[in-house]
Amino acid sequence: MSSRTAQLKRDLTGWIWVSPWLFGFLVFLLGPMLVSLYYSFTDYPLLEPPIWTGLANYRRMLTDDTFRDVLWRTARFAILFIPLATALSLAIAGLLNERVKAGGFFQAAVFIPTLVPMAGSAMIWLWMLNGEYGLINQVIKAVLGWAGVTGPNWLADSRLAMASIVMISLWSIGQMVVVYLAALKEVPDEMLEAAALDGMGPIRRFISIVLPMISPVILFNVITLMIGALQIFAIPYIISAATPGGDPRSMYFYTMYMYDNGFRYGQMGYASAQAWVQLLITLGLTAVMFLASRKLVHYRS
Amino acid sequence: MSDEAPPSPLGQMTRRTALGALVAGGIGFAAFGPRGAKESADGRIVLDYWEKWTGHEARAMMKLVDAFNSSQKRIRVRYLTTAGIDQKALISIAAGDPPDLVGLWNYNVPQYAETGAILPLDELDTKGEVRAERFAQGFRPVLMHPDPHTKKERQWAVINTGGVLALYYNKQLFREAGLDPERPPRTIEELTAANTRLIKRSKPGSDAPLERAGFMQTEPGWWSWIWGYSFGGSLYDAGNDRCLAASPQNVAGFEWVQRTSEELGVEANKTFKAGFGNYDSPLNAFLTGKLAMVVQGPWLANVINAHGPKDASGRPSLDYGVVPMPVTADLYDANHPVGLIDCDIMVVPRGVKHPEACMEFIAFLQRQENVEAMALAHYKSSPLAVSSKAFLENHPNRGILTFDAIAKSDRTYRVPRTRAWPQIKDELDAGLQRMWSLERSAKDELAMIERRSQEYLDTVEAQRKQRGYGRA
Repeated sequence: MSSRTAQLKRDLTGWIWVSPWLFGFLVFLLGPMLVSLYYSFTDYPLLEPPIWTGLANYRRMLTDDTFRDVLWRTARFAILFIPLATALSLAIAGLLNERVKAGGFFQAAVFIPTLVPMAGSAMIWLWMLNGEYGLINQVIKAVLGWAGVTGPNWLADSRLAMASIVMISLWSIGQMVVVYLAALKEVPDEMLEAAALDGMGPIRRFISIVLPMISPVILFNVITLMIGALQIFAIPYIISAATPGGDPRSMYFYTMYMYDNGFRYGQMGYASAQAWVQLLITLGLTAVMFLASRKLVHYRS
Repeated sequence: MSDEAPPSPLGQMTRRTALGALVAGGIGFAAFGPRGAKESADGRIVLDYWEKWTGHEARAMMKLVDAFNSSQKRIRVRYLTTAGIDQKALISIAAGDPPDLVGLWNYNVPQYAETGAILPLDELDTKGEVRAERFAQGFRPVLMHPDPHTKKERQWAVINTGGVLALYYNKQLFREAGLDPERPPRTIEELTAANTRLIKRSKPGSDAPLERAGFMQTEPGWWSWIWGYSFGGSLYDAGNDRCLAASPQNVAGFEWVQRTSEELGVEANKTFKAGFGNYDSPLNAFLTGKLAMVVQGPWLANVINAHGPKDASGRPSLDYGVVPMPVTADLYDANHPVGLIDCDIMVVPRGVKHPEACMEFIAFLQRQENVEAMALAHYKSSPLAVSSKAFLENHPNRGILTFDAIAKSDRTYRVPRTRAWPQIKDELDAGLQRMWSLERSAKDELAMIERRSQEYLDTVEAQRKQRGYGRA
């Protein structure tokens, strides 16, 4: 068999084995992406054929009050959620990294919320944050009721809606905790011991040794969090629909508006343009993070 | 070194087998995979009917579907309960694979009719069995919409079950508050005064925790936009395609909403409302007596009977009455009540293979006995122009005569007939909550809603023009 034929056979074998993935990628990802790119330049009410309108959908975003509202609200959520989730999950991972009794139990307890479906999570928190009967307000009443302090209307008060959504989202950081925990376990003990012998305190050791050592993992988690934050949908979608007396717009985020445009308002072209803007924002922020990581992230290699 | 490829760890035959399996799987899937069976084993035409109902409402329709399937040997209807039905219907029609019949809401008609997604029933109804004239005058407009190309009004739907809104009031609570239970509010002024009398707090103070409220425009919150209509307002000028949200009548209506919230106490009423249970549960605020008056459709009687208080013999004992939604004193006319018409409709999507079979099923459903059987099972109004004596006598809602009178009134109103309604309604839903929270004055909020809503209307008109059927 000639070498060319053999090479062809090898290639063919490879293509056959990757073909299921390739088929899925082309048909269910790349294809729809390209189609949505085309739709983003059209007026497409879904029930009628698309008509080419050039950049009209993109221009419309510049004057659309609701678009501006949801973009800013989503940005605020990301700005609040990413640092809080990072700090909290690092802190929990740090605690779990200590040799404590029943450490496995606590690890499981932290991780379990990530297994709860989003809809279930939203329903649980609807009751936890209920203004009258919610567990959190009952605790506030029990502890501070003597001073006349009562819990707020977490979900119905538009001023607290963002804080509530951030709080609910923080409940599901177990996956990040597990990743941080694995990273912390990789930090060589001898390095920390040497630093301690040199007189470094625990905070200094954390800042000068642990953080640089786990910085690639922090970068990965922050990028993942950022992508997730920009796509937040299920929890505010369910909670805003089920909250009696709340301003539904106080929990109205970018992807919710995109979904409404596509499937409720008959503006699929506009929704497609929004999807592409979201993708560009995500890519842009990811690129900025990678650029920043050159100075901030330490790779052992 | 040999140029031969290293032997595959899986061997030649295995590779061939794997490739063969992939190909065979694909062929098998194409040949025997899932598909919609359009012909049943006995040679009948199969019609797929998507409907939104579950529970007792679905059972009532399935009973009629079974009756239809047994009544003839040519057609078989398959009922499928579908969540998010308007969105799924939209996608299935756009994809060219729609069900044969879809149960939607009346506000869907403009979008589906203008875009040619549904078939005009007046064309299919060759025997004249489901003409709009059969329906009560309040219901007729929801079936109609101009053909986008000829501008001629056409009938696009039939009504499966009809809904009319009225004011329920708890007679026992009226007695407790010193109000005459046989003289319920007729005007906004009387409703406001009754609310004041019915408010009960756990301690003195205008913002003290509420134990009972008379009336809250945010409960149940399904019709956030109707309050201006009680003041003679309207939200939409169909002739000129203009949003009228900020008209003086609407501003007056929503200022009344804000006065109610202020009287109840903004924070107090929010906390109070957070304790309301689900609509279809024993914790429904009207059933528990937390709320003495509520605007609802005739279907509330089902919840009252199922979950409300019972007497010693187990019969529903909530003592309630039903009257038309009060209006301002100058608008009040006992013979011409004002009320919202809101109903479930049925349409035939574009692209169905057997439209005449669909029409046969629709005609069966629209027989008076079947319409009334559905309305009774759903605790709803009959949408027909003439209700039978038996229907009115046997209806489980004690206020059915009130609902029937509103349906036949010449002063009913409906969801504005525009494709932009879902967007406008979302603005009004959010706006109501902001006004209820006194975050912004009704005038300012409604001005903003009007401006945004007009943008939505203009966008839709631009879409129409691009396709050559603008309103002008």
